[in-house]
Amino acid sequence: MRYDVVIIGGGLAGKTAATALQAKGLKCAVVADGLSLRDVDLKEFVAAGGSLFSGDRVVKANVEDGRVLSLVTERLEDELLVADNYILATGKYFSRGIVADMNSVYEPVFGLDVEADEDRSGWFDRDFAADQKFMSFGVRNYGQGRVALEGVVLTNLFAAGEVLAGITGIEADAKEIIVKSALDAVANIN
Amino acid sequence: MANNLKDNEFDVIIVGGGITGAGTARDCSLRGLKVLLVERNDIADGATGRNHGLLHSGARYAVKDSESATECIKENMILRQIARNCVDDTQGLFITLPEDADTGYGLDYQKKFIDACIAAGINAKAIDPKDAIRMEPSVNPTLIGAVQVPDGSVDPFRLCAANVLDAKLHGTKVLTYTELTSFIKEGDTVKGVRVHNKKTGEDAEYYAPVTVNAAGIWGQQVASMAGAFVGMYPAKGALLVFGHRVNNVVINRCRKSADGDILVPGDTVTVIGTTSTKIPFEECDDMRVTPEEVELLLREGCALCPSLANTRILRAYAGVRPLVAADNDPTGRSISRGIVCLDHETRDGIKGFVTITGGKLMTYRLMAEWATDAVCKKLGVTVGCVTATTPLPGSEPKDQYNEVKVPSYKGANLGFKASIGRQGSRAAAIDFTKAEDRELVCECENVTLGEIKYAVKELGVTSLLDLRRRTRVGMGTCQGTFCIYKAAAALAAALGKPEMEQKLAEDYLNERWKGMSAVGWGDTLREMEFMQKVYKAGKPSSFKK
Repeated sequence: MRYDVVIIGGGLAGKTAATALQAKGLKCAVVADGLSLRDVDLKEFVAAGGSLFSGDRVVKANVEDGRVLSLVTERLEDELLVADNYILATGKYFSRGIVADMNSVYEPVFGLDVEADEDRSGWFDRDFAADQKFMSFGVRNYGQGRVALEGVVLTNLFAAGEVLAGITGIEADAKEIIVKSALDAVANIN
Repeated sequence: MANNLKDNEFDVIIVGGGITGAGTARDCSLRGLKVLLVERNDIADGATGRNHGLLHSGARYAVKDSESATECIKENMILRQIARNCVDDTQGLFITLPEDADTGYGLDYQKKFIDACIAAGINAKAIDPKDAIRMEPSVNPTLIGAVQVPDGSVDPFRLCAANVLDAKLHGTKVLTYTELTSFIKEGDTVKGVRVHNKKTGEDAEYYAPVTVNAAGIWGQQVASMAGAFVGMYPAKGALLVFGHRVNNVVINRCRKSADGDILVPGDTVTVIGTTSTKIPFEECDDMRVTPEEVELLLREGCALCPSLANTRILRAYAGVRPLVAADNDPTGRSISRGIVCLDHETRDGIKGFVTITGGKLMTYRLMAEWATDAVCKKLGVTVGCVTATTPLPGSEPKDQYNEVKVPSYKGANLGFKASIGRQGSRAAAIDFTKAEDRELVCECENVTLGEIKYAVKELGVTSLLDLRRRTRVGMGTCQGTFCIYKAAAALAAALGKPEMEQKLAEDYLNERWKGMSAVGWGDTLREMEFMQKVYKAGKPSSFKK
C-alpha cells in the first residue's frame, strides 16, 4: 500500500502530524496500536480520507542508504506500507516507543540513535515528585525531528512527540511542546 | 499482675514492635501482666515485614540443623491452628534439577533430605516429577525429582497485627512511632524507659521491673543503652515481587540452602528470595537492592519457574536478618541460628533486663514464650503459656470464607471476601451498612472504604504505609498508581486530618518508588512512566517539584 506519508503512532503527536500533512493535501496513513495515554480521536482524519490501521503496530522497517523504503506491520503481514516520508510518533516506554531492558535502551522499530544514560544509578530520583532523568531519554533529535541510525541522519524519517529525547510529557505545557514537535517534523515534508 | 500500678507503671516493657515483640506482648498479657509495647516506627516495620512470608515446613533446615527443623514444623502446625486468617496452606515442593546432580545434589541427596525431614517430624514424600508438574504447572518442567512438604505462606504483617491486637484486647498499651531514648537505671537495675514520640514530639517515662529487648537487628544498640553487649551481624536479604500469583505451591530447590531458591505465592503476588550479604549497621535503616542482587534472584528464580523471565517485576525490597554471635564463642565469628534468650542479670549483672533475639518469623511464638517465661520468672509469676492453643483474633472459625458473616450487609462482593481473607472473623466488625463503605478503594487488593475505616479504628493506623501493612492497600499490580490518591483522601478523613492528604500520598508514593527503582526496566519502567504521568501530567500538579 502506497502513501505520501505513513505516521507510526496515533497519539497527540501522530494525530497532529497526520492532520497537518493531510491539510497539505498529502495521502496519509496512521498505524496506531492504541497504547496512548492521551485521549486522542482520529475520526476527523479518517472522515477526510486518511487511512487508519488501528490496533496494528510496525514490527520491522526496511531501510537502505539512509532512506526508509517500507514498513512491515503485525497484521498486514506480507503487505508492506510504502511512503515517500515517515513520521515516528510512538511515545515513550508505556507505549513501547522506547524500550529499556536490563542492559540497554533502544528504539525498537528502526533501532535509531537514542539518548540515555548508560549508568543507571542516576535514572531515578528517590523523591517521586522530583525530576526523573529516565523520563527525558529518547530518540536523539538532530534538529526539526531529524533522526539517525548509527550517526547517519535519515532522509525521510522524522520523529515527533515523546519518543524524542528531552520531551517527557509531564511538562506544564506538555501538549504545546508535543504539538510543536509534530509541526516541526511535518515542516520537513512538502 | 499488680493491680495498684499507676498509669506510667507496668509489669513489663517490651522494646520492639516486630513479630517477636508483638508475640511477647501478647504472651505476657495473656498471662495477666500489665504490658507496655514501644516501637520506634510502625509494627512489622523491620525484618518482620521484609521477608518471604513463607510458612516454613522446616524442610530447608532438616539436613543441616535438625533442631531448627523440628522447631519449625511444630510452630508451622501451631500457626495453622491459631492464625488461620494469616496462613495459606499452599504446600511446598523441593525440586531437583538435572544440573543439581553435577554439584552433588542429585537424587542421592534427595533421599538423604527426605530421611532428615522425617527424622525431624516433617511429612516429606517424594512424588513423581509428572505429578509435581500437575500440582504446580509453573515449575521448571526439566525437574528430575520432587518432594512434597507442608510449606505454606503466612502474611507477616497480618500475623504481627493480630498479635498486637490481642495484646491490646488484653490490656497492653501500644506506642508506635515512639523511640527509646534511654533506660532509667538505678545502679545496675533497669527500672524503666525514657521515650520520645516522633509524631507528637512528646517525651515520657515509663516504669517496670522488667524490660524486654525485642528490637531485632537494632537489639545490639538497645542492649548497649542498658550497658550490655549483644553481638549482632546484620545480614541483608533481598527479594523480588512479581506482578501476579505465578505459582500456587511454594517451590524450593532441593539442595544446600543458597541464594534465590525459594519462590512463595503470597496473596495476589509471588516472591522470590533471598540473598545474604553482610552489611554495616548504618545501612539497616535504608536498604537498597542492587542490580547484582536482582540479576542473581532472577537467574535463580527462573531455574525454579522459567516463566518468571517474562513476568513483570513489581518491585524489590530487602530485610535484615538479626543474626546473633554465639555467646560461647569469644571471636564472635560463630553465628547462632537458633533462638537466643539472654537474662542480663545472670549474664552481665544488669537486673530487670532480658534480650530475646535470633530465631525467625516461624519461631516467633516460641521466642515469645521463652521471653515471657524469663519475665515471669523474674516477677515470680507462675501462670503458664497458652499461646500455642489460643487462636489469635480473627482466626476463628475454621472455614473462614463460609462461616464468617458480616452482619452489616447481606449481599456479597469481592471486598467482603478479601476482608475476611485478611481480617478473618474480625471482618464482622467492619461496618458495611452504607453503600460508600462497600466501595473499593484499592482494586488490585479489593480493599473497601469500610475496611480502611476499621483498620484506622482498631489496628492503630497513622499513615498509608501503616494501612498497607494492615490491609495490603496499594500492594498489588498498580503499586498504588490508581488508588493512592483515593486512599489518601479516605485515610485523611478517617483520621480526622484532611490536611494530611497530600503528605500521606507523597510518603506512600516515595516508598513504592524506592522498590520500583531497583527494577526499573521493562514493564516495571513502563509502569513507572505511567505513574509519573498519572500524578504529574497536565495542569500544575501537587506531585511535581
